Amino acid sequence: MTSRLHVEIEKRLGSLTLQIQLTVGAEILVLFGPSGAGKTQTLQAIAGLMTPDRGRITLDERVFFRREPGVRTVNLPARKRRIGYVFQQYALFPHMTALANVAYPLAGQRNAHARAMELLDRMRLAHLAHRMPQELSGGQQQRVAIARALAAEPRVFLFDESFSALDRAIRERLHDDIRALQAEEQLIVLYVTHNLDDAFAIGQRLAVVRDGRIEQIGQLDDVFTRPANRRVLDILGIPNALSARVVESSPAQLLLDWDGLLLAAPPLDLMPGAEVTAYIRPEDIRLIYPDRPLSRVVGQNHLDGVVVERRAGRHVHHLRVQIRGGQLIEVVYAASAYATLPLRPGAPVQLALRKESIVVIAPRQDAHPTAPNLAPSTESLIKNTEHS
Amino acid sequence: MNWPAFLLSLQVTAIATGAILVIGLAIALVLTRVRFPGQIVVETIILLPLVLPPSVIGYYLLLALGRGSPLVEWFQIRVLFTWPAAVIASVVVGLPLMIQSSRAALANVDPVLENAARTLGSSELRIFWRITLPLARRGILAGLILGGARALGEFGATLMISGNIPGRTQTLPVAIYDAVQAQRYADANLMVLVMTGLAFAGLLWVRQLEPPPQRYRAESQAEELRDDVPATR
Repeated sequence: MTSRLHVEIEKRLGSLTLQIQLTVGAEILVLFGPSGAGKTQTLQAIAGLMTPDRGRITLDERVFFRREPGVRTVNLPARKRRIGYVFQQYALFPHMTALANVAYPLAGQRNAHARAMELLDRMRLAHLAHRMPQELSGGQQQRVAIARALAAEPRVFLFDESFSALDRAIRERLHDDIRALQAEEQLIVLYVTHNLDDAFAIGQRLAVVRDGRIEQIGQLDDVFTRPANRRVLDILGIPNALSARVVESSPAQLLLDWDGLLLAAPPLDLMPGAEVTAYIRPEDIRLIYPDRPLSRVVGQNHLDGVVVERRAGRHVHHLRVQIRGGQLIEVVYAASAYATLPLRPGAPVQLALRKESIVVIAPRQDAHPTAPNLAPSTESLIKNTEHS
Repeated sequence: MNWPAFLLSLQVTAIATGAILVIGLAIALVLTRVRFPGQIVVETIILLPLVLPPSVIGYYLLLALGRGSPLVEWFQIRVLFTWPAAVIASVVVGLPLMIQSSRAALANVDPVLENAARTLGSSELRIFWRITLPLARRGILAGLILGGARALGEFGATLMISGNIPGRTQTLPVAIYDAVQAQRYADANLMVLVMTGLAFAGLLWVRQLEPPPQRYRAESQAEELRDDVPATR
């Protein structure tokens, strides 16, 4: 039987009201969002380090927390929840060796030290067992912390920005470790980060958190290709978000009016006059060579503009272009492309947008819209947040 | 050398230090863990003995332990002008030093460590013994030594409430005063030397409890990647 952690809580935290609903199975769920969104507090509530105002937290049949009208309140202390919590600050006991740290939760058990040694070995740290924490590097300390959490044999593992202080190469290796652990032990893993690269490196599902709420939860790719709303676009840092009005809707295409600029988009069942949020994939935008014939696929959505800014990267370059109507568009292209075009600021440039590069998200709503239906094939552990 | 006074001083100091440890640690714990209205007033009152003249403290203790005080009338605690009164005076003046130092040490223990221990299945008592206390031990010990040294040196309030009865309530500081008054300077010199030596040793000990400079990380992260065995499994 696969385990499931179910969280449904509310908590007032100063100006922020935490209102989280999620269900996690044996998988890695990434909680992603800006700092101050309530991600850490969510983990603390699950671990029993913070008490919500109301709601419930259950692991299968076990009730960790429950405070609801009409039923007896339950608040299991943290020590009885057996949840592995890996902190950003490592949180190793500085007065104990690595080995003693890992043996700490095993106190009173026979062969505690042998078991601790085994866990250290698994984290490739056996040779450093007798070092004190301050004699270890950040990555090593965090691996000791993981081994120590494992010693308590948790079903649920919480990572709270655990690797954000570490170098990228070390982070990547720790991500491998966690993925391996998760798969082996069928752990329920929640991974909090504000770093998108980390989210992609480790995650299977993604929950986008903002202002104490989950804006969208789903498979990573789905969230990226179909963000639920403008806020998710902003949080994910997807450029070229725009608000437009449907001018014409036909089975072949949708015609959008973006502040006076007409764009052809893939067809969608929308009435003319509908206000929509959309975005243009910056890597799907082509620059047009004035002297070459156009291919048929880019036969539409020709825009004239002026280069505002050009940023060179290692693999891709970024271009900010101002369209005649004043709209700004960000273009991303391979560093090897367009070598012969003069793309300095001020230079005129012509853009071609394939219809498919325009992603219409949803009719714009002021309230929190529900996420678009995700592929029904993915097991529907996913529960969208309901908002009152 | 006035041996009875020296031995009585040791006895009074030992008992007072024990009391300072228990009472001081308990108060420091409450002050770090509990927030209550008027806390700052309570904390200030606790520190008062540090700055009040010994005669004022002695006067308060006379009121508290003298005839008519509830302690005497209800609980039949009659200690005025006996050596236990000297213990009480020593505790009162030594306590603020202990509380100040151990409170700072306890507050300095990173709550993340205690939270980590909680998620690892520890009871609050075990966390206190295995995590909080060991990590705060330097500050607690330093406070205890300072408080104990202050207890050993207590003079004014002691003189007022336990008196100056040679062999019964006369502690070393009081005996020094007595010797000087009687112009027994040889006696006084020796006792002064002993007191100075004890105080010096105590302070030296406290200094050595200060944390050593932080050691450097043994390995850089680059080294970690190099010596690290590639991920298995």
